[in-house]
Amino acid sequence: MARIGVFVCHCGENIGRTVDCARVAGEIGKLPGVVHSVDYKYMCSDPGQALIKQAIAEKGLTGVVVSACSPHMHERTFRRAAGGAGLNPFLCEMANIREHCSWIHEDREAATDKAIDLARVIVEKVKRNVPLETIRIPVEKRALVIGGGIAGIQAALDLADGGAEVVLVEKEPSIGGHMSQLSETFPTLDCSQCILTPRMVEVYQHPRIRLMAYCEVDAVEGYIGNFKVTIRQKARSVDETKCNGCGACQKACVVKNVPSEFDERLGKRTAIYVPFPQAVPNIPVIDREHCAYFKGRARGMKKDACGKCKEACARGAIDFAQEDRFVTEKVGAIVVATGYELYSIGKDQPAAGLKGYGEYGYGTVPDVIDGLQFERLASASGPTAGKLLRPSDGKVPKKIVFLQCVGSRDPAKGIDYCSKVCCMYVAKHTMLYRHKVHDGEATVFYMDVRAAGKGYDEFTRRAVEEDGAVYVRGRVSRVYRDGDVVKVLGFDTLNGTPVEIDADMVVLATAMRPRKGIEKLAQTLSVSYDRHGFINEAHPKLRPVETNTAGVFVAGACQAPRDIPDSVAMASAAAAKVLGLFSNEMLEREPTVARVDAALCAGCFHCERVCPYGAVEHKEVRDRKGNLLKVVADVNPGVCQGCGTCQATCPSKSVELMGFTDEQIYAEVNALAL
Amino acid sequence: MKELRDLATKLLAEGTVNVVLGWEEGPRGVRPAFATDAAAAGRLVFDPRCTQNLVPYLSPRRTQVKKLGKAAVVVKGCDARAVAGLVRETQLAREDVVVIGVRCGGVIADPASPEPLSPATVADRCPGCNSREPKLADHTVGELPAAPPGESRRDVRIADLEARTADERWAFWQDELGRCVRCHACREACPMCFCERCVADKTQPQWVDSSPHPRGAFAWNVTRALHLAGRCVDCGECERACPVDIPLGLLNLKLARVASERFGYTATDDPAVPSPVGSFQKDDAQEFIL
Repeated sequence: MARIGVFVCHCGENIGRTVDCARVAGEIGKLPGVVHSVDYKYMCSDPGQALIKQAIAEKGLTGVVVSACSPHMHERTFRRAAGGAGLNPFLCEMANIREHCSWIHEDREAATDKAIDLARVIVEKVKRNVPLETIRIPVEKRALVIGGGIAGIQAALDLADGGAEVVLVEKEPSIGGHMSQLSETFPTLDCSQCILTPRMVEVYQHPRIRLMAYCEVDAVEGYIGNFKVTIRQKARSVDETKCNGCGACQKACVVKNVPSEFDERLGKRTAIYVPFPQAVPNIPVIDREHCAYFKGRARGMKKDACGKCKEACARGAIDFAQEDRFVTEKVGAIVVATGYELYSIGKDQPAAGLKGYGEYGYGTVPDVIDGLQFERLASASGPTAGKLLRPSDGKVPKKIVFLQCVGSRDPAKGIDYCSKVCCMYVAKHTMLYRHKVHDGEATVFYMDVRAAGKGYDEFTRRAVEEDGAVYVRGRVSRVYRDGDVVKVLGFDTLNGTPVEIDADMVVLATAMRPRKGIEKLAQTLSVSYDRHGFINEAHPKLRPVETNTAGVFVAGACQAPRDIPDSVAMASAAAAKVLGLFSNEMLEREPTVARVDAALCAGCFHCERVCPYGAVEHKEVRDRKGNLLKVVADVNPGVCQGCGTCQATCPSKSVELMGFTDEQIYAEVNALAL
Repeated sequence: MKELRDLATKLLAEGTVNVVLGWEEGPRGVRPAFATDAAAAGRLVFDPRCTQNLVPYLSPRRTQVKKLGKAAVVVKGCDARAVAGLVRETQLAREDVVVIGVRCGGVIADPASPEPLSPATVADRCPGCNSREPKLADHTVGELPAAPPGESRRDVRIADLEARTADERWAFWQDELGRCVRCHACREACPMCFCERCVADKTQPQWVDSSPHPRGAFAWNVTRALHLAGRCVDCGECERACPVDIPLGLLNLKLARVASERFGYTATDDPAVPSPVGSFQKDDAQEFIL
């Protein structure tokens, strides 16, 4: 026979003002099976909790109902109190008479009646509660970091320094990401490579980091604490164990005119290449699309068309026959840091809805470039060795026009968000320009200058006040080539006049977009993403680096446009979250997970198809002799999040959600209806 | 007929299968046959009286046929959808059954009918049939006969019901379902009702009242119809099995149309087409989410 104790909380005036708590306690006390029913000012306070513990001990309660606030608020508190008094914590439930009653009603009589109903429903449920045990699952104390840009590097280093093993996967031949392409960084104008490359080397040398460059995540199985990740090692055509990075192969390569990705197509590279001299690892890769040997093969030539790199390699590291390999890594947590790419200004658009800016002449006028291309022109390691020369004729541009918000804040072109970093990098560009070309004129077309951040507004002011950048508020309607100059037609909305500028070069401050292929990766990881493809955080304020899948974290510009300080801060935050997870020997999970009755399951696997977490597995049922009787569904408690979709879908109702069984729900409905 | 008998005999003789499920002449019209030897295979028939769907015998819940060993089953186009349904919902491995398809020109509602196939005797599902030649069959026999005679009677009845008010429809179904005696013959005859324990038999809690009281009858028939929404293969067995002539086919067909309009799913004999339950598409209607 059930012996239920009911504890009605006034929550100060929060509940007490609208609900007659004493009447609730009195009415509920008359229900069969309720042996104890009291009200108190603050149940969550120490004396309030003591009331519960005392009643459990003295009256031998078999179940507890706390009629108070939302279970989100204090279910843990009261379950801990019940557990402390020797009752299984899952025999304690809450009836929400605050958010669901007192806060939303005014009529005291009616609200009190409703509070009685709400409490009665939970009493009927608790009568059918059974003790549940917390699920404990082991943790693999290794982390996978996807993406080797500054966010991935920071996360990997913080994790490894914190004692965790790290697998860092980068899809390009070298780590470093976009930061390695930058010339200088705001708001301090320190050289990007000077601060980044030591960190890259640190990653390479760290005993607890396994660097996997030129690799991609192919598949992910498992769940928090126990992921199994399949990683594709793309064929470099160079044996990493033999290569010592001497560079002889690149000198020998006959193909020398491949547009360099690292230099944003402003420079050239060979077919066997390292992206930049400070690459980590410093091991070249053969670009099979452009390599003479592979092109010859593709044309079906019997004789090898080339082989100069192989001849030049003293260590015999060139391996034309190398193929993609797959390795499996077991990890307990995953940090996604895949970064960004720039909005495509020209004709080729990666997604429907993005329209590009044909009117700005990008791709047809050579002296119209984007922000990253300007970085390469300004960079000492760039194609012009740091001299600012325009791409068309190599002349020093005396007049540069910068356009902000190209792609961003423009729903008509497909992106309505603010790309956040452009105001700052445009200010930086005008300064870099003036520092290199002292008589140069920089004009910036802007919508408004957004420079929130430590030292940021001072930085943009400096561009205007010290380095003479001219800021014109307004948009540009057209950019076209007119003889030797690039004509910019715009409108100054402060003066209300049209503006026409004969520029030598135009730089478009294009918006950040998530990396191509992010949707596929997000689907592989079962994390959600917004309509732009940015990974969704679990809570925009309170859980900024977690995702909706337990054990998967997010850092940097794959979550939203981020600058370097933001990315680094997020990466460290994600690392701290992972290290917090790894500080447990075993992970504790709420036991409110689904369970399949194998005897009744017919194995139609509707549950498998509807499970959003991939928690449903196949289990063989055999007789004593080992003959296969049937294959049934089985829920992995480590993956199950207790959403109950399988329970609702099962046609024969052979799945139960622990703590929310059909019987409990049925009893609740009956308590309300009968 | 000879082609079918020869094929069955050959499959049995070469040991490809141990039993061939087909139809044979019985004391009262045609009846299901379980041919395990050449003599029995020689008695198999196929004509417009072969209205029964034999696929329910392959459902794992019915173990009698399984005990005989590997089976071949003779299917019409409608029955083939049931094979696909069982494969789709992992009740049957496609390689565990040999499917013999028969080209069909419509069947008579009553397998014991002495009348020939005519617009008056044709089964409800046949007029307008577009799957008279099972695509998933391993072997297909016979010549394709003329299309089934007559016009769809169900279209008229559904249109008639749709034209009525909600109250009138309620009265109609109260009258029809009120006759239900809860014998569950509809469930036993259905190829897609393969649960080990039907939800109607669950007692803790008892979701479906077990008595033939109107409330229980409604709960049962609505549950059955909803569980088959989009999954029903339209073989007509439930309606044929019903001892009190409830027009279950109308319920099934209406729900099949809803599933088709709302989710673009139509029961097919291609097992690779995913089940409507649990197959999520981005453009699924979701106006019910507030």
